Amino acid sequence: MVDRLHKSALCGREATVPVNDLLDRASQRSDKMHSLSTLLTQEMDSHFPPYGRMQMPRPADCHTSALQTPNDKEQALQVSESDLMSLARSLLQAWVDPLAVLSTSAITLPHPSKSSISSKIQELQEHSKSLADGLDILSGKMGPSAQAISFLPYTGGTDLGQDRVTILNKFNFLLSCLRRDSHKIDSFLKVLRCRAAKLQPELC
Amino acid sequence: MKKVGEVVLLWLLILFIHNAAGEGYSPPGKPTNISCRSPEKETFTCWWKPGSDGGLPTTYALYYRKEGSQRVFECPDYKTAGKNSCFFSKNVTFVWVNYNITVVATNSRGRAFSDPVDIDVVYIVKPNPPEEVVVNVTEDKDWPFLQVSWKPPKMADTRSGWITLFYEVRLKLENKNKWEVVSAGQRKTLQIYSLRSGGTYEVQVRCKPDHGFWSEWSPSSRVKVPEYFPQERSMWILIVVFAAFILIIFIRMVYMNFHSVKRYLLPPVPGPKIKGIDKQFLKSGKSEDIFSSLVVSDFPPTTSNYEDFLVQYLEVYVPEERELIMNEGKDLQDDSFKTENSTCDNDSGRGSCDSHTLLTDKGGGDKEDGQQSDQEGSQAEADTKSQEEALEEELLACSHENLQSSNVSNEKEKVKSWPSLFSPLPQYSFSPVNRPNPPKTGKQHCLSDSLFTPNSMPSYFTQPGPSTTKGFRSNYWECSFDHKQSHPLHPQSAAHEHLQAQNDLNTAHVDYMGAPLDVHVLNVRPSEYVEVQRVSVEDGVLLHPVSPSQEDSRTLSHQTEDYSRVRVVNNDNGLLLLQRDAIEEEKSMCPYQEDVVSRASITPTLQNSATGINIALPILDEMAASGYIDTAIMFGLPTH
Repeated sequence: MVDRLHKSALCGREATVPVNDLLDRASQRSDKMHSLSTLLTQEMDSHFPPYGRMQMPRPADCHTSALQTPNDKEQALQVSESDLMSLARSLLQAWVDPLAVLSTSAITLPHPSKSSISSKIQELQEHSKSLADGLDILSGKMGPSAQAISFLPYTGGTDLGQDRVTILNKFNFLLSCLRRDSHKIDSFLKVLRCRAAKLQPELC
Repeated sequence: MKKVGEVVLLWLLILFIHNAAGEGYSPPGKPTNISCRSPEKETFTCWWKPGSDGGLPTTYALYYRKEGSQRVFECPDYKTAGKNSCFFSKNVTFVWVNYNITVVATNSRGRAFSDPVDIDVVYIVKPNPPEEVVVNVTEDKDWPFLQVSWKPPKMADTRSGWITLFYEVRLKLENKNKWEVVSAGQRKTLQIYSLRSGGTYEVQVRCKPDHGFWSEWSPSSRVKVPEYFPQERSMWILIVVFAAFILIIFIRMVYMNFHSVKRYLLPPVPGPKIKGIDKQFLKSGKSEDIFSSLVVSDFPPTTSNYEDFLVQYLEVYVPEERELIMNEGKDLQDDSFKTENSTCDNDSGRGSCDSHTLLTDKGGGDKEDGQQSDQEGSQAEADTKSQEEALEEELLACSHENLQSSNVSNEKEKVKSWPSLFSPLPQYSFSPVNRPNPPKTGKQHCLSDSLFTPNSMPSYFTQPGPSTTKGFRSNYWECSFDHKQSHPLHPQSAAHEHLQAQNDLNTAHVDYMGAPLDVHVLNVRPSEYVEVQRVSVEDGVLLHPVSPSQEDSRTLSHQTEDYSRVRVVNNDNGLLLLQRDAIEEEKSMCPYQEDVVSRASITPTLQNSATGINIALPILDEMAASGYIDTAIMFGLPTH
């Protein structure tokens, strides 16, 4: 299918960006998103005592845990490109609301690095938005099954809590869920990139 | 008997063993430092650090739970990864799943649990080093370079995109210690240039996943670079020949134009011109004639004459004359210092120039005398180079009768009274400005930084009434030396200091003599250069600022003359005048000059012209040393 995409992209369309180039750009953006979320968790931990982390809810309670994703390499490599794209887009869409909640909460976060955290979250939001736009274009070239998005609502509400410990715990929990989901998105896109990179095998 | 003995022995032995076994045994210590790594995101290994074993054989067991499940599993493989480790194979490894891992140490005395650790396999990826590192030396037109290539570690599946690796290469010369690190991105080859001929290099490669840890460096690959020296040598020979050629041309050019270069770098100093002495006359030379010409009726001026003169100066107050003169001075200034009455030639020092104009004033003759004496004195000190210029010290004496208050707050009033006292000054300042050649002016004055700041000046000057302001702006500036500081100088502002100094001077004079001192300090702001117009007998120097009108201070300052800036006014009779070669050089020069003043320690005496001379001498010497002596700073007349 990707070969077909290549051919349709290169022949007959004058100014179309080839798919593997789009995927390359998309995977770079998802890479940046995951790096940002990793930095965020590290920054939170730098001032947050470890005991708090133990008390936080398990990642199985992330609002995106309902989405079935591959759990090892073999499973992942068996997923079709369209499904991989659909998974990536679903995860991305699922974080639009929580990121907004995080963004507003970061401003009043009882944490010494809250301004740095707040700016990183805003950056995340920007990357997320532009990545979603790029994946919309890509999925348009990949067929209808790639465009299906699973709906994963965020039910955590806009308020993270009342007291400092609760707020920080919830913040940490959301960030850990975000870190994982951004890694999933990044991994799926990079698998897709290598599948599409028949013209540039040296990158994979 | 024997049996009993054996039994006892045996029993003792058992007791002993039992005791030995019982003492010092304890439950095992807690295992610590659980760390896990995955080389390819498909398997992972955990290591732990055992605690004390309590003297008993201790076994370790690793238990884990996966997130979302309470089921506990034990490590499937304790052997593959070595001692105190647990290897998780592909079957039991899942990504994006949190493992909660605990290690338990058990011995016959008890067990110890380690702290649990949460890990997710995707965050602990540390690949193996790259493999098959090949380094070739490629000969390319006698400029060899290294071609390094490698393969990703076997286990890492980069083909499918499951793992994305970035590479780094480092190399060093075999006998050196410093590695040079080159990043190679996701590529698997690299070229390295700029090699040392004949050197042996060690090359290593390592890799890192997009979100993970760097691998270890691969084993060193050694390679020897062949010699390509001859090429370099011929290039060096070419460069040397070319440089020598250029050098020869340059030397020849300098030699041909030696004189003009010398003239440019070291502008000639105009010869001295002394009123009444003609150079040609000297050369023609009958000695009697020469000596007779040297004897001037009013030289050297006697003290009494000088005092009369000063007193005369102090008492004379001719407002209308002053106005005229001031206006004239102002006109001069406006005309960019073109003086109609200037009769100076390029070689004259200011003093001789101005002496003509001085004569027109009532006190002018005396001033001229004073000047001449200054000139003489300064000549005595100045180097031959400086003779021509030096003596533009025009000393203006001012009286501070009115300014007796030592109150700083009165400075404004004092300012107002000054213009009236200094009216004749303007014309002095402008006439020499006429001169074209900067090096030929003999005046060097430094503007005391401590006394004046440009900013403070204007405000200072605005105090007087409008009519007198113009007079002020004729840039008269006097430095007063107060060797007998009754009040410490305040560091408030330059103007204040200045005034203070003046005040002090005034009061000191009043105290001492009851007669006003000749010296007062005029603040002249915009120009920072002054010429010494007169050296007062009471260690005062009347300096008038040399620079052109305030508006054009910049352009005019490029003018011709070198004027000194008063660098600092010492309490001890020191007025440090700095030679000015150029605006830019002032600063550099001034500190140097400052040293001069500080070194010239002068014992304060109230009226000792010799003291003034003492001050002047070291300064002169220094200034002579610097190549130009434009002003001899005479702080007093020679003994009268």
